Amino acid sequence: MKPRWTGLLLLIAVIVVLALLPMLVNNFWLRIATGALMWAGLACSWNILGGYAGYINFGHSAFFGLGAYVTALLMGDKLAWPFFATLPAGIVVTALFAIIIGAPTLRLRGAYFAIATWAFAEVLIQFASVMDFTGGIGGIGLPPFLDERFFYFAMFGAAALTYLITWALFERSRFGLKVKALRDHEPAAEAMGINTSLVKLQTFVLSAVTASVFGAIFAYWVTFINPNSVFGGDITDQMVVMVLLGGLGSLWGPALGGVALFVVNRIIWMYWGDTAFYIAILGAAIVLVVLFLPNGIAGLFSRRGAKSGAVLDKAVGNLAGDGQGGPS
Amino acid sequence: MSAAEGKTAGAGDPILVVRELYRHFGGIKAVNGVSLDVGRREIAGLIGPNGSGKSTLFNLVSGTVMPDRGQIRFDGHEIGGRKAHAIARLGLARTFQIPAMFDNMSVTENLLVAAAEGHWRGARERAADTLALLKLEHVSDNRASDLSGGQQKLLEFGRVIMRQASLILLDEVTAGVHPNIRKIILEAIARLRERGITFLVIEHDMEMVRNVCDRIIVMDAGRVVANGSFNDIVRNSEVMQTYLGRPQ
Ligand SMILES: Nc1ncnc2c1ncn2[C@@H]1O[C@H](COP(=O)(O)OP(=O)(O)OP(=O)(O)O)[C@@H](O)[C@H]1O
Ligand SMILES: [Mg+2]
Repeated sequence: MKPRWTGLLLLIAVIVVLALLPMLVNNFWLRIATGALMWAGLACSWNILGGYAGYINFGHSAFFGLGAYVTALLMGDKLAWPFFATLPAGIVVTALFAIIIGAPTLRLRGAYFAIATWAFAEVLIQFASVMDFTGGIGGIGLPPFLDERFFYFAMFGAAALTYLITWALFERSRFGLKVKALRDHEPAAEAMGINTSLVKLQTFVLSAVTASVFGAIFAYWVTFINPNSVFGGDITDQMVVMVLLGGLGSLWGPALGGVALFVVNRIIWMYWGDTAFYIAILGAAIVLVVLFLPNGIAGLFSRRGAKSGAVLDKAVGNLAGDGQGGPS
Repeated sequence: MSAAEGKTAGAGDPILVVRELYRHFGGIKAVNGVSLDVGRREIAGLIGPNGSGKSTLFNLVSGTVMPDRGQIRFDGHEIGGRKAHAIARLGLARTFQIPAMFDNMSVTENLLVAAAEGHWRGARERAADTLALLKLEHVSDNRASDLSGGQQKLLEFGRVIMRQASLILLDEVTAGVHPNIRKIILEAIARLRERGITFLVIEHDMEMVRNVCDRIIVMDAGRVVANGSFNDIVRNSEVMQTYLGRPQ
């Protein structure tokens, strides 16, 4: 059981370094680490549904943005809620929207779901852009709180919790077995007594609410949000590329992919002061990963032969409606 | 097998009753007015030429495909039109004609999935027993997609065992498998029947039908055209014409 021990030691080392980081680096680097933790968490959040259930969500930024807007609105002058009280509110609002979007569309082929989630995020951008109470296109400010350590530990805590829940639920429980089974063959999963519609919806809600928590912390951190900064399609694009780079359906892959791409993003920003170039890199990264690293970074370390390429086959097959070969 | 004995009625009370069942796909009358009974603890064989509607009948009974009309009663429950998972939870299990693997999961995990809904306690031990029964221990950690076709059939059969069902539908479970694997499956069927489990099996191999089945139901063009013992069926020249007269 050597790989187990090395894995555990590595995990402890990472946690210790992350816990001590605020004492080791200055605020500039701490901000970068805070962002890296956020993206590692968001990639995991997207992977919960995309990697474990095989349903591709092209509008995941909707839930990030919902969390951000709920916190921003509740913390505003009129209501002035404390930050931590806004988190459960954001989770409830996000879960309700996930149920409304997911219940009808998750029953259908994956393509309907992908289009519905994408459209949902677009609708929210437009809605937040025209409404007065959201501050319209100009956005909305939050009470400034300039404690970099607070936000670092908030993102660290949220990311750690997201990975812990994902591990416990998808790698260590019956629930995970059900989710992976329906990803691989939905009619067979049903024949095993699994209520696939319900299990998919539960997975989708979990994926959505984890994204909303990062949105809430992000809004408080940056103290100002607008429709594009929290609902924008580029946020979803990044999550997708991070997961594909790291390894779809693997637990740690999304963390590696998230940190790697975010660091590239910051390097580009430092040297060119503009991240438009980064979008081009994202596109190139997708092509390179699909061609040369079909199992992602996680696949390089996987003991029993990598599988995320095969998971991608399932997800794309599900998207096209032929993922499970028909019930004959 | 408490599920098999859920109702006190004896052998005269069939576990599965199908009446006037219809399912068309566009112009194709896949199942076109099927009525049949399967008695408790029997092994009923379902035969018929390609495209006669056997697998569609399985899909209808198991809830994988919704019927146009007709009645299906399983173990005292009206199940026509119910969801597949609800029917499975009543104690009906099935295999698919094309092996329906959970490709990215290990062989053991494939078995555990079958216990995830309903009877999780002791699942790991039962999975180990099932692996031993089916002689799949040496591949227990392999991904299901890496198994041979015959091993996949075995694994799917193993999942059905793990369901602890009272009625098992097998769709050509021995078709195209190595004789050794066929032997393992036949032995397992014999053991399960001793435990009181009822089988309805689609089978093309007449030798297997003769050796295993108590009774044979013949379908053609979406309808049941004959029903009786192997000898009855063989003597019925019209049926032999229907079934054996056409190339497979
Ligand atoms: N989902 C479907 N959509 C359209 N047509 C279908 C569908 N399922 C079955 N059919 C058609 O219904 C008819 C009966 O098919 P079925 O698979 O039930 O036959 P079968 O008796 O199992 O044949 P085989 O011995 O080849 O397995 C065939 O003509 C088939 O093409
Ligand atoms: Mg068939």
